[in-house]
Amino acid sequence: MKNIVIKFLALFMLFTFSNVSANETATHSTGSDTHKEETYKSQTFSHMVTGFLKSTGIVAFVSPDPDELNAKGEKISTFHKGLGRALMILLTFFLFWLAIAKGFEPLLLLPIAFGGLLANIPVANIGGAHGFLGVIYSMGLSNEMFPIIIFMGVGAMTDFGPLLSNPKTALLGGAAQFGIFGTLVGAVALSQYGFVDFTLQQASAISIIGGADGPTSIFIATKLAPELLGAIAVASYSYMAMVPIIQPPIMKALTTDAERKIKMTTLRHVSRLEKLVFPVMVLTLAILVLPESTPLIGAFMFGNFLKESGVVERLNDTLQNSLINTVTIFLGLGVGSKLAADQFLVPQTMFIMALGIVAFSVGTASGVLMAKIMNMFPGHKINPLIGSAGVSAVPMAARVSNKVGMEFDRNNMLLMHAMGPNVAGVIGSAVAAGVLISLFQ
Amino acid sequence: MNKGNLMETNLIVEGFKFMGLGMGTVFIFLIIMIASMNIMSIFIHKFFPESKLEINPAPKQDNKKVIAAITAAISHHRQG
Repeated sequence: MKNIVIKFLALFMLFTFSNVSANETATHSTGSDTHKEETYKSQTFSHMVTGFLKSTGIVAFVSPDPDELNAKGEKISTFHKGLGRALMILLTFFLFWLAIAKGFEPLLLLPIAFGGLLANIPVANIGGAHGFLGVIYSMGLSNEMFPIIIFMGVGAMTDFGPLLSNPKTALLGGAAQFGIFGTLVGAVALSQYGFVDFTLQQASAISIIGGADGPTSIFIATKLAPELLGAIAVASYSYMAMVPIIQPPIMKALTTDAERKIKMTTLRHVSRLEKLVFPVMVLTLAILVLPESTPLIGAFMFGNFLKESGVVERLNDTLQNSLINTVTIFLGLGVGSKLAADQFLVPQTMFIMALGIVAFSVGTASGVLMAKIMNMFPGHKINPLIGSAGVSAVPMAARVSNKVGMEFDRNNMLLMHAMGPNVAGVIGSAVAAGVLISLFQ
Repeated sequence: MNKGNLMETNLIVEGFKFMGLGMGTVFIFLIIMIASMNIMSIFIHKFFPESKLEINPAPKQDNKKVIAAITAAISHHRQG
């Protein structure tokens, strides 16, 4: 198909321009195919038909071009070109089903899955350096731009009020980061015992799934292990969508009936000035303690500061809506380009998926346990159910805490209490990400 | 075999080192953050109490009502 189009193009130019300029133009537009159009002779119709048939997708799936190169310019194995691509396309259909019928984070899963579908088309090479997915990837993912912009939008959507009115719940958001580092040890142990070969960088990139924060995962993965980005992003977002399924059994297993019915004191009113000072204060702390975390925390606090300033309603509105939506589309498609069969259908993917769910479970459990530890000290009691909200996944994890709490006491509204650890979890995972980055500098 | 074992312990220990440093930093950061949040709110409540900020909008509404009443009265007067 491509060859024939090129030939038509070249013929057209031959007629339009003088011979010399036609040759030059053809060299520019068709590159290595130039010699073919020079020797173009009238073919019999049957030749043309067989030539066309050879360039169809069916042929490309059944007997792929042996010299085809992947996005990195390496040769692809026959499995990854034929059956692998077909399998990946079926997988993207499954992701469509999850997003549409099951409502699993459709805002990101749909663009990712469709990007994956496009990236697995043979011949067209959409995920390659000059395909549009490849261009999107190098435009904003390989330089970590898109996750940062998403973080600004998330910052503009975040209300730190619940955290400010009950600051100690931030510790729950810290405890949940055990999910990250526990998984890191797990991933390293797996590669130690020879199940799979992860470097420390790759293990760190995988473990950040436990932060339950999509943009942070993508940020770290592009920095430390870009070859695993597809699997990490898919694991991260699909498990975030599965938070209502993963968390409740763990929360119930670790708490007693009395603990689940603990009523928390009502949140005090937070003044506007406190909310305005908070983002600058946290950023200052980040600058002093861990400058490596400031790209994430800085973007997050920038969004929040615009919102709380109250004088730039238009910018706040853009961050929360049009900008984050636009970037989400690009981010999804760019991540989808990493679902190309030759990068996704590798043994590591299976382990990433398994480690991801371990990360989420450990994070949930340590948040709940931290709340129980804090209850041993004097002071206002904390309902351990809000501990699970310490894994970021805003606001899903907080809603889960609320829902489980309501199951045991219809009048126990935990939502606002759970938002505190929830947003602290975002800060916590950004700090954890900063630590991981600083370790590999 | 011996060498392999040595490598094993090394990498896992490495993982635990990461965990110690990482969780330590996260908790220290959050504890400092909690402390500064508490100090900030005490400071703000002492020196910039909310009520002062909220006094301003109230008279504005009164002003509007007064203005509306005056305009209504004037137009009524002119018509009459």
